[in-house]
Amino acid sequence: MPYYASRLLCRGYKVYWLKPMIARLKHRRLLWLLLLAGGVPAWFQFGRGTSGQESALDWFGVANAQESDVTPMGGDIIPLRQVTDPYPVFNGIAVDPVNNLVAMTDVNRKSIVSYDRSASAGARITPPRRQVFGPLTNIGFVAGIYADSEHKEILAVNNDIEDTMVVLRYDAQGNASPARILSIPHQAWGIALSRSHDQIAITVELQQAVVFYKRDAQSVTPPLRNIRGPNTGLADPHGIVWDDAHNEIAVANHGNFRGLVRDTGAGCAPTGTADPEGGAVLPPSITFYSGDAHGDQKPLRSIQGIRSQLDFPMGLGVDADHNELAVANNGDNSVLVFSRTASGDAAPIRVIRGDKTGINRPMGVAIDIMHNELWVSNFMDHTALVFERSDKGNVAPKRVIRTAPPGTPTPGFGNPQTVAYDSTRDQILVPN
Amino acid sequence: MANGTAAPERVISGAATKLSRTVHGIAYDAEHDEIYAPNPLADAVLVFRGAANGNEPPIRVIQGPNTRLVVPHAVSFDPEHRELLVASLSNRTIAVFPWNASGNVSPVRYISGPKTRLGHVVGLGVDSASNLLAVANSEEILMFNRTDNGDVEPVAQIKGPHTGIGDEPWELQVYKSRIFLATSNHLHTNLYSGVTLKDGYTKPPEDPWLNPELGFIGVWNIRDRGDVPPHAIIKGPFSQILHPTGLALNPKDGEIYVTDSIRNGLFTFLVPDFF
Repeated sequence: MPYYASRLLCRGYKVYWLKPMIARLKHRRLLWLLLLAGGVPAWFQFGRGTSGQESALDWFGVANAQESDVTPMGGDIIPLRQVTDPYPVFNGIAVDPVNNLVAMTDVNRKSIVSYDRSASAGARITPPRRQVFGPLTNIGFVAGIYADSEHKEILAVNNDIEDTMVVLRYDAQGNASPARILSIPHQAWGIALSRSHDQIAITVELQQAVVFYKRDAQSVTPPLRNIRGPNTGLADPHGIVWDDAHNEIAVANHGNFRGLVRDTGAGCAPTGTADPEGGAVLPPSITFYSGDAHGDQKPLRSIQGIRSQLDFPMGLGVDADHNELAVANNGDNSVLVFSRTASGDAAPIRVIRGDKTGINRPMGVAIDIMHNELWVSNFMDHTALVFERSDKGNVAPKRVIRTAPPGTPTPGFGNPQTVAYDSTRDQILVPN
Repeated sequence: MANGTAAPERVISGAATKLSRTVHGIAYDAEHDEIYAPNPLADAVLVFRGAANGNEPPIRVIQGPNTRLVVPHAVSFDPEHRELLVASLSNRTIAVFPWNASGNVSPVRYISGPKTRLGHVVGLGVDSASNLLAVANSEEILMFNRTDNGDVEPVAQIKGPHTGIGDEPWELQVYKSRIFLATSNHLHTNLYSGVTLKDGYTKPPEDPWLNPELGFIGVWNIRDRGDVPPHAIIKGPFSQILHPTGLALNPKDGEIYVTDSIRNGLFTFLVPDFF
């Protein structure tokens, strides 16, 4: 007998099935008494039935506050089926060539995984250097990541609903407490760091904003400044990079725009603001700002339009030496490389895309100028890929990091908070 | 049906879909074979054909200031009255549209205001037999008359320690006057109003998923009142669910589908007697 079937019979299902049977027997006895006495209330009929004609209140009866000692049916029932992924799935990626480290956020198992920069899997699972996970870590639906080579710290942003940034030392392992935690706005995603400013910048999807803190801010610390407002061009911002060499910040926008931004509420903690917003879905974009920008400032320039090929742009990587900006283009399984100074409906100067590349719903991208490499984290393939920095077209990666055996499918879940049943196709719909 | 480490059979994704990567509600309309999905970050509800796949645009979009949608999180389809109900989180409202509404349209009904007690609204559903609307509110289930409009008080509530409903109950479904609720029981503390810190906090929020009071799937009768426990429940370590948020029903096969953010997974329970 299959394991789950035996567990089903010997535990949850058996218990759950017997209780209503016993209950029905009691009720049927009562029903006969009531029938003999002249009838039953309409709501007190039995049998599940399939006609749909019975009273909708037949089964449970109605309870009032004083009736609180009833044992509910059901209980600790084993699931008949489950779709889960036991392997880490990468979200953001950061590379530190100085300390020979690459680190990824794992949204599936809620961990942060780091590897030797030169690690390669072949056809096996790549042994990580470290993996930090567990209840002490405060790692949740973790997204953007930054590897601070100078302070040997990993900074990672929890997206929803932890509302924190966690900072881990490079040598953190297992169920380790963060070196520090910072409270940040709800639905933060990307993170960037500036050495010249000694600041970090964090994107906030819901608030269409970039918020800035001191690099070592912790606990409950107000932001130093923010970029926010209808003139900024920020629209569901995700990836962010801070180009210290040119004192510029670049932000990847999905294009979802909350209209007039009148609502200053906190999203999931509503404020009661009732102003209509009149949102819009704008074309995806990359917007550039001065590293000192604040408030409702217009971007210095934007990349936006059909020629740009932008489609769910996620993580960004900047190469100040070669004046290039790389984009993890999640929507069409590609990496786009633009001139750093591109503007308007500009085409990328290079594109890595195709079946040989192994790029599959990329979430993060990082450029290692020291070793002339470009890193990509995949969301739908348990892999991170390493390309030559100047690769283009349908090329195979030079190295692969794997968290699962090759070909292992993944459901692609990322904090699934809703589900629907398509009765026409007998399919279950799970948005992320 | 999918089981184990399975890849999706189809994926609706891409810029043309107008979807965001934040979708906290979804509904399927079997009569018209359509999928409703909100885009809270663009104040919109998107409607897809049931067989949509890939980077496919929606067939209708409800969006614009007349819709009065502000961060819409939940949708529910009422097949009997052919209406779409949309809960907006940030302005604490419920808007009702005809099933085929499109564009910058006004809702036919709009529940909003201090009397409503609407707060953190995510789940909602209509019971045709009782003509009631059940709403998963901040820490309780509120009931309204289905045709309520404006600043109206709820007609009833299910609330209190015996219910087991804690912070931010999530998706809710109604079937034959039974309320099925994903009682998440996570503890979400948001220290910010927009991008501004609120006063009075000195510590960062605790991990919202470490609430020792586990979540569960609870089933109530829509005419239950007050502090009453669920009549049926799925809860405990063997169930594998910790803080469930998503919930869908398949009465024909006696199955309940549950998503859990901590487990990052989809769980199917065979519970024919719950229906």
